[in-house]
Amino acid sequence: MKFGLKKHGKEVTFEPWYKWGVIFLYLEMLTAIGVSAYSLYMAFSGKGGFPGKH
Amino acid sequence: MRNIRTHKVEQLIIAAVAFFWCFLMWFATAAFSPSIAQKFDLSILEMGILASSAIWTAPILRPVAGWMADRLGAPIAFSIVLGVTGVVSIASSFATDYRVLFIERAIVGAAGIAFVIGIQQVAQWFEEEEMGAAEGLYAGTGNVGAGVGALLLPRIYGLNYSDAFLHLGIVALVIAAWCLIRGVAAKSAERAAMARKTATIRDTGFVWTRFTAIALMFAYAMSFGLEIGMNAWLPGYYARGFADSIRDLGFSGVRDIQIAAGTFAAVQSFNASLFRPFAGYMSDLWQRKGWMPFPIVSKALPYSPRVHWLFFALVSITIMMVLLAIAGLSGNVVLSVLILVLFGITVSFGTGGTFAIVPLMFKRRPGTATGFIGGISTLGGVIYPLIYGYSHNIHMGYVYVAVFIFIPFIFFFLWAMHYDIHPEDHGIGTKEEWLG
Repeated sequence: MKFGLKKHGKEVTFEPWYKWGVIFLYLEMLTAIGVSAYSLYMAFSGKGGFPGKH
Repeated sequence: MRNIRTHKVEQLIIAAVAFFWCFLMWFATAAFSPSIAQKFDLSILEMGILASSAIWTAPILRPVAGWMADRLGAPIAFSIVLGVTGVVSIASSFATDYRVLFIERAIVGAAGIAFVIGIQQVAQWFEEEEMGAAEGLYAGTGNVGAGVGALLLPRIYGLNYSDAFLHLGIVALVIAAWCLIRGVAAKSAERAAMARKTATIRDTGFVWTRFTAIALMFAYAMSFGLEIGMNAWLPGYYARGFADSIRDLGFSGVRDIQIAAGTFAAVQSFNASLFRPFAGYMSDLWQRKGWMPFPIVSKALPYSPRVHWLFFALVSITIMMVLLAIAGLSGNVVLSVLILVLFGITVSFGTGGTFAIVPLMFKRRPGTATGFIGGISTLGGVIYPLIYGYSHNIHMGYVYVAVFIFIPFIFFFLWAMHYDIHPEDHGIGTKEEWLG
């Protein structure tokens, strides 16, 4: 997995794990957005709180 | 150092799981404080003291954990923390006297120091260009343990905190054994030896007096210190500051208002944790692209783009604090909560951005530096809620903290980072005076 240039012109080549790490962190981010959206919907519609019905 | 076949991702997973479990144990007491209060007939004040006791040991013991990680290697340090807190957690499940239970749970609260150990372990295994994402994945995933504990433990165990403490302790011992069997302190014997060699009182004094270490400690106090302070403050803030608005949403009664207020607070915590790996990745990205948009921030350091990213995060956090106050003064709960979501994200930028720099700046002393920066900064979690609480208007505390604490912190950060060569060497006393 290759990305652009480093500051001092040295090319950076990442090991394969990095790609999976980035996918995982995007999944974590999507989880945060999903849980936030769902629980705020539940709260603002008066149906319950985090993360759903109580 | 032991010579076993492993991969840095395995070491990252071991560190993240150990840290996750430590955070789960760290906040387990707070999750069960209502049932403990009911069983021992505690007052509100006693309940608050019990819930907050978990944080007491962090400022003192985190620096010790950093030293221990450098000296003994992270796997052994993890095993000690998990072993001691696991055994005491098991013992606390049998406590029948409240004083005994309180002391035992305060000791279990020391599990929160594990953060420092894993940061050190990841720093010992990963390369400069991937440090932000690696540290972010470790810390962000582990931090979720606090939220998961608050969310799941009461649902799984109901009021039966004894069984929860017992099971948490047993699993902690299993993870401690796993750390010992599969954990390796560093990528190379040289790296491990270097960290061990620098784990001295003189080196500790040297790091604690460096301007950049203090600046990064302030940055972490503005992010993680703020995050844990807000965890404690926000449920009460929304319940008091927006009681009428929450009633208008259809929640009636103290319990229902607490659920709604707790929901808003949890969203902040969840975003601050789960966006943290992304923040570390952004630090890597800024570094790779050479992004340095701010004319007032140093551009000469090898990791200057990461400093710019952290500066962006600190300014964003400060702006969000002011916006949170404005939303509060407007009385609009929807606006306030939407800003709170963004607030949680900017906090993660600060936590992820700080620890994308620390291991690079203090390569030879990763544990000592992390112990100082990650430990002392937690005092913010105690100080900010006190300022909010003493403010004449419940919404204005955010502005006071932003103006009188955060802005001076940012100026100090800018000043400390202005050295073009080895900023980590500048501080109170020269390197030669400290290290000979």
